[in-house]
Amino acid sequence: MNTVPPSVLSGTGLVKAFGPTVALGGVDLAVGRAEAVAIMGPSGSGKSTLLHCLAGIMRPDRGEVRLLGDRIDDLGERRRSALRRSRFGFVFQFGQLLPELPADENVALPLMLGGTARREAVQAARGWFGPLGLAGLEGRRPGELSGGQAQRVAIARALAPRPAVVFADEPTGALDQATGHDTMRLLVEATKHNGASLVVVTHDPAVAGWCDRTVEVRDGRLLTPFPGAA
Amino acid sequence: MRTVFELSWRLLRGGGRRGMLGSLLTLAAVAVSTGLLLFAVGANHAFAARSAADAWRHPAKTHGTATAIEALNTDYARGRQITVVELAALSGDAPVPPGMKRFPKPGEVWTSPALASLMRTMPADQLSQRFPSRTPTGTLGRSAVVHPDELVAVVGRAASDPALSAGRSDTMIADGVASPTRIDRYATGSQSATAFVYQVLAAIASVLMVVPLLVFGGAAARLTVARRDQRLAALRLVGATPGQVVAVTVAEAVLTAAAGAVLGTVLFAVAMPALTQIPIAGGTWYASDVWPGLWVLPVVLAVPVLVGISAVAGLRRVVVGPLGVARRETPPGLRAVRPLAFLAIVIAFGFLAGGLTSMGRTGLILLLVFLALAFLGINLVGPWIVAIIGRIAAGTARGPARLLAGRRLMDDPRAAWRTVAGVALTGFVAGFLALLNPSSGMLGHGAAADRLEITVPEASAATSAAQARDRLRALPAKVTVERAAKPSHGVRGTDGEGNDEPDGGGNDEPDGTATIRAVVDGGRENVDRARTALTGLIPGHNATTEADSDIGSARLLADLRTGALTVLAVSFLIAITSAGITGASAVLDRRQTYAMLRLAGTPLDVLDKARRQETLIPLLVMGGGSLATGLFFATPFAMGFGSTGALTLVAFVTLGFGGILAASALSRPLLRAVTTNPAPRPD
Ligand SMILES: Nc1ncnc2c1ncn2[C@@H]1O[C@H](COP(=O)(O)OP(=O)(O)OP(=O)(O)O)[C@@H](O)[C@H]1O
Ligand SMILES: [Mg+2]
Repeated sequence: MNTVPPSVLSGTGLVKAFGPTVALGGVDLAVGRAEAVAIMGPSGSGKSTLLHCLAGIMRPDRGEVRLLGDRIDDLGERRRSALRRSRFGFVFQFGQLLPELPADENVALPLMLGGTARREAVQAARGWFGPLGLAGLEGRRPGELSGGQAQRVAIARALAPRPAVVFADEPTGALDQATGHDTMRLLVEATKHNGASLVVVTHDPAVAGWCDRTVEVRDGRLLTPFPGAA
Repeated sequence: MRTVFELSWRLLRGGGRRGMLGSLLTLAAVAVSTGLLLFAVGANHAFAARSAADAWRHPAKTHGTATAIEALNTDYARGRQITVVELAALSGDAPVPPGMKRFPKPGEVWTSPALASLMRTMPADQLSQRFPSRTPTGTLGRSAVVHPDELVAVVGRAASDPALSAGRSDTMIADGVASPTRIDRYATGSQSATAFVYQVLAAIASVLMVVPLLVFGGAAARLTVARRDQRLAALRLVGATPGQVVAVTVAEAVLTAAAGAVLGTVLFAVAMPALTQIPIAGGTWYASDVWPGLWVLPVVLAVPVLVGISAVAGLRRVVVGPLGVARRETPPGLRAVRPLAFLAIVIAFGFLAGGLTSMGRTGLILLLVFLALAFLGINLVGPWIVAIIGRIAAGTARGPARLLAGRRLMDDPRAAWRTVAGVALTGFVAGFLALLNPSSGMLGHGAAADRLEITVPEASAATSAAQARDRLRALPAKVTVERAAKPSHGVRGTDGEGNDEPDGGGNDEPDGTATIRAVVDGGRENVDRARTALTGLIPGHNATTEADSDIGSARLLADLRTGALTVLAVSFLIAITSAGITGASAVLDRRQTYAMLRLAGTPLDVLDKARRQETLIPLLVMGGGSLATGLFFATPFAMGFGSTGALTLVAFVTLGFGGILAASALSRPLLRAVTTNPAPRPD
């Protein structure tokens, strides 16, 4: 069944309901290696739910999710947790940085959780600061960073464990447009540069424009898949 | 004002399940605080009530025309003290004693309920034959009896009775005897020395309990505010005036606290039957003494007010700069003045300590002040040390859990301190009491319980001894006479200590005295028979044993221990409740961060370990440190480090750490709950 290029992550027939609300009504989505996919759609259409199902945060009611061909939706919470830690990266609108840790330790934390010794983890974490335009901010704490800077630290944090897929849910929703665009461009480029795939939920058509592909969600279903580039 | 309350009520109810849980935690904290505060107030009230019930027995010199004669004596039976008040009318308007319907006629005996039942159960030749009437004429009312188990007799006599002209001084219990005194009213407003000592001890115990209680209560109040920080900052950002923000929050905190105060009062009322069973000074308590009566009102009103004030203090940050909360900047470092203040207190105490015991009442007040200061000092230095511990933990951390714990301690040392403050302060109390908690081994053991003694004027010694032999004919007793080596003022030293009580009134005593001694075989029953037989031999004087005089000191030591254990129990209750509540609220405060970490795949175990270390590391350091401080503060009064002291310490360590661990383990399910559905959403 496998086609070229093989998908890194795929969801088939995903259904998820919250009580009477059907958030996902049967969604198929495949993400290729180093591919950036934008998910768009009106509020409440099921974008976040789709992302959570793909990332192993939620278990879909029906359907399956595969990472590099292996099913991940039927794993126990402990295994999915380990998977999220090692194979996925996350960038959200708020709250993913620990306010009491300096920026470099925030980036090093997932590495330490993966078993890297503290010294090496912090060393590796600092390596991300220059390329992301954060040089000199290693010792600052999240409260002492601007919104854009904090999101770039979050991007470093997501990429540091060298994940297969990075998930982002409206990562720039709290930023002004110019800063938001800069940050998004950085996210898309840095992810691609590191060979990771990207699944990003956004309301901004410009952001979608930088991605390889955009899917549109309406009432829990994919509208028109636009294959190919923008 | 109405709209403010309405808005607050809506915020309270609309906060969702978790917001409600937070309010419930505050409610529980305030309830426990109020209950314990009422206990402290109730204890002081109860000692005051006992003192008031006891006061009339100690006759005071008359101001006008004397209408009665009053004398006080202490007798013993079955190893228990019996207080005997003797009264004679001088005229028709002799004052009616408290708890009696009328002035007792000569030959009448009015007794407390406990004495009446003892007279019924003990053979007449061992107890009731000592009184002019074998069956009580009447029962003493509540206002004449100190506690339900107290043995009291009021004996009516004729004014000419020799018992009411002989001075009494041959006992070591300064408060248990008073020579016949002409009175025109009872000294109901005064206070005996023993009652004073107990009230002072109750005051010390109250300081030891109330200070940690206030620290805990303040923390609980801040807890409401802390959780509202974000939302209030948001209110500020959208343009609410500082006044509105303050009003809404304070109203919310006060509403919760008022409910908590009422609940606490109910808790105290429910616990009262158990509390009245704590034996102090030879007996349990009247519920009406322990219930603080009208004092409940000010306490129940003051608690919400204090919580409100504390809430305002906690809010200042939000109101002054909304961004300060919204953006969480680096908190300013704690100033070095904290450890310096603590050191100054310790050093000042070190200098003064030696002299404290010889300063009498001033020394006592100084000690109370220093105790309060020590508490404050520990509370000041605590967060500072916690910050240092955090720095060390974060600096040396290898794994993520230790790193998180250390950084968190550094980030908000005050919050971390609040979690362990209760136990740290309890550590101080335990250390302080460990040295003051004497073991019974320090009592003069082997005091003879079979050797009755009675002091007589030297001149009549031979006659009295002959009479005594005659009275004790039927008993296996051997009577001897010993001349006093020194002129006695009624004080019979046994160990050269405790003789500094004022001379009770040995004026009637001729200079030379002798002691008639009767060694009685056949155990306590025969000794009580001999006491009964010797009653009235020397008017106004009882035959007593050395063991009798030890009853008082043994009781004081037992009371000190009971008091210490009560204070410790209360401290632990505070410490463990506060650890549980602050721990749970720390999880609630950080639920978003925890949810995010979980979402990114952080194992629950790591989060839980970090949470545990955050409490345990400062607990170990601060618990040990304040224990040492407590020991240091107790050294000048150390009665020796007995096995009881060691037991207290072991119990402290076990209970303290076990309790805190158990209380903080309660946060684990909460942590699991706030992270089960880790979908990120703003609150
Ligand atoms: N935990 C939940 N419980 C109940 N209903 C939920 C839950 N999460 C999502 N929903 C519902 O599922 C539907 C899809 O929600 P979802 O969060 O995926 O929307 P979204 O497309 O991300 O919207 P937005 O752009 O506003 O973030 C909505 O109707 C929402 O109300
Ligand atoms: Mg969404």
